[in-house]
Amino acid sequence: MLSCKACLWILVVACLLSSGRMLVHSPRTGEDAAENERRSGQRFAALRDALPQRGVIGYIGQSKDSVGHYYLAQYALAPLVVDSSPNHPLVVGNFPNTLPQNLPGNLKLLRDFGNGVLLLANEDAR
Amino acid sequence: MAIALAGILCLLTGFVIVALGLHLLPTRSTLLLGISLSTGFGLAVFSIIYFLARWSGFLHLWAIDAAVCALLLIALTPLRKHRISAAPNVEAPDQATPRCLLIAFALASLAAVYCGITYAVARPYGSGWDSFAIWNLHARFLFRGGINWRDGFSPLIPWSHPDYPLLLPAAIAHFWTVMGRETSAVPAVIGLVFTFSTVGLLFSGLDILLGRTSALLGAMCLLSTPFFIDLGTWQYADVPLSFFILATLVLLHLHDRLAKGGVESRSTLALAGLAAGFAAWTKNEGILFLLTMLLTRMWLTSRQPSPGRRPISQMAPMLLAVAPIFALIAFFKRAVAPPGDLFSDLATMLHKLGDPSRYWAVLKWYGRELIRFGEWWLIPLPIVMLVLYFLLKRNVTREEKETVRASAAALVLTLAGYFFIYLITPRDIYWHLRFSLNRLFVQLWPSAIFVFFSALGGEPLTARRGDTEPQVQQPETASQNGTKSFSC
Repeated sequence: MLSCKACLWILVVACLLSSGRMLVHSPRTGEDAAENERRSGQRFAALRDALPQRGVIGYIGQSKDSVGHYYLAQYALAPLVVDSSPNHPLVVGNFPNTLPQNLPGNLKLLRDFGNGVLLLANEDAR
Repeated sequence: MAIALAGILCLLTGFVIVALGLHLLPTRSTLLLGISLSTGFGLAVFSIIYFLARWSGFLHLWAIDAAVCALLLIALTPLRKHRISAAPNVEAPDQATPRCLLIAFALASLAAVYCGITYAVARPYGSGWDSFAIWNLHARFLFRGGINWRDGFSPLIPWSHPDYPLLLPAAIAHFWTVMGRETSAVPAVIGLVFTFSTVGLLFSGLDILLGRTSALLGAMCLLSTPFFIDLGTWQYADVPLSFFILATLVLLHLHDRLAKGGVESRSTLALAGLAAGFAAWTKNEGILFLLTMLLTRMWLTSRQPSPGRRPISQMAPMLLAVAPIFALIAFFKRAVAPPGDLFSDLATMLHKLGDPSRYWAVLKWYGRELIRFGEWWLIPLPIVMLVLYFLLKRNVTREEKETVRASAAALVLTLAGYFFIYLITPRDIYWHLRFSLNRLFVQLWPSAIFVFFSALGGEPLTARRGDTEPQVQQPETASQNGTKSFSC
């Protein structure tokens, strides 16, 4: 039967093995550069200056699957509340990968900030 | 400069609160315990100050911080002289610590510190979605929102969980406000502070109560849990919550050790209540822990009643400390936050509770995650610890056994509460389990390590260096031999 001392040593060895694994998997410099860029909100910096200081704005994005892009847009544009709906007078268009061929008919492009960031007006919501 | 001053003020505020509540003989271990507790307590107080200042519109934070710290210092001054002379020594006896264990601990510490810092530097905006979708987003609304800060708790963005308590976001916003600008360094540093304060708290708590060998082994178990170190830098609230849960248990064990030696330390009990309240102010899961902890303490107090005192009056200091924080949370939930999204209508919840397949699904995930949540390599630590538990004879006195049982029961009941929430979750159960269960286990992991080593008792792990000066508290059954000692 395993002695207590042996078991304690197994505990110490198990700890050191996991510490070693942690070291091996520690991130390298610049490894997460693209993700950091996304989280920094730089894409939305110019748009933020063009929007009102507070209130609720609408949002239209790539697809239902890109919910992370919507969250990041809200994070960048706080303290504005970004509602995931185009039914607001001002609507943010967020298309980080490809710009859409056609926008819904009631949305009018006010300004293209580049990098897939658009400011749109919903004429029906006025 | 502003950040350094604010940091010092925060630490000092926490330190004075801890000094008011805890009066032990000053040693290296009690100093480490004090510093580890001070960081979390200071940040918690800063978050409450910020929330109240934001709510009242009186945002002169420097003045408020300085006034709070000064008031606490004034309250401490008359007590200090008396307390230093009367401070009891509760420390475990001097132990012969194997050098190889010290080396292993040093290696694990270096690896954890290196990885923690590289994670924080490589991912200054945190990791995972909750950092930007919940915690830092709320901090931005508090900081950027001005008088419209309540917009951040709009039901239009339910995915940001506007009902989550504000300890972490308000502490971040506090530092941003005194600096006058936002920087990702603040949440990153707060994450690291909580991570390593938890390690310091575990080490010092075990060192004081059980001895150096248990402290080294226990802290090493935590330092060598890759997911704990990783999650600490994600800028989530799970590690801060784990800190406050552990702080509550360590303080309760200290109180019971003091009480066993005839020292009735109500202020230590109040400090434990404060820690449990801060846990509830960190995350909704903390509210569950607070309730289970109060329940188990009530049970413990009813089993060990003091002559002429009812259990409720024995718990009064703790309840009095919890009350204002509970009132703050209730105010936040009623006046600021929209309702949470975990509870649906009663009929739906009952239907889910009657579905056996949901119990089986959650049970399977619990079993699977138990051995893999820490992302250990080759040997999962909970398995080794379970084997150790059955191999080593428990060697604690009856009173301490009761304390350990109460702490273990609080953790098990909290886990049972999580189980219940998974059963009734309105979300897809597998999705919910997949993206949260490992973090819930991390919330309880430091406390589980603490309770595990407390259940073992210090003696089976070590040989004593010999009789030392008389101690106020000693386990009555402490063995003098070192038959099961841990040596190189």
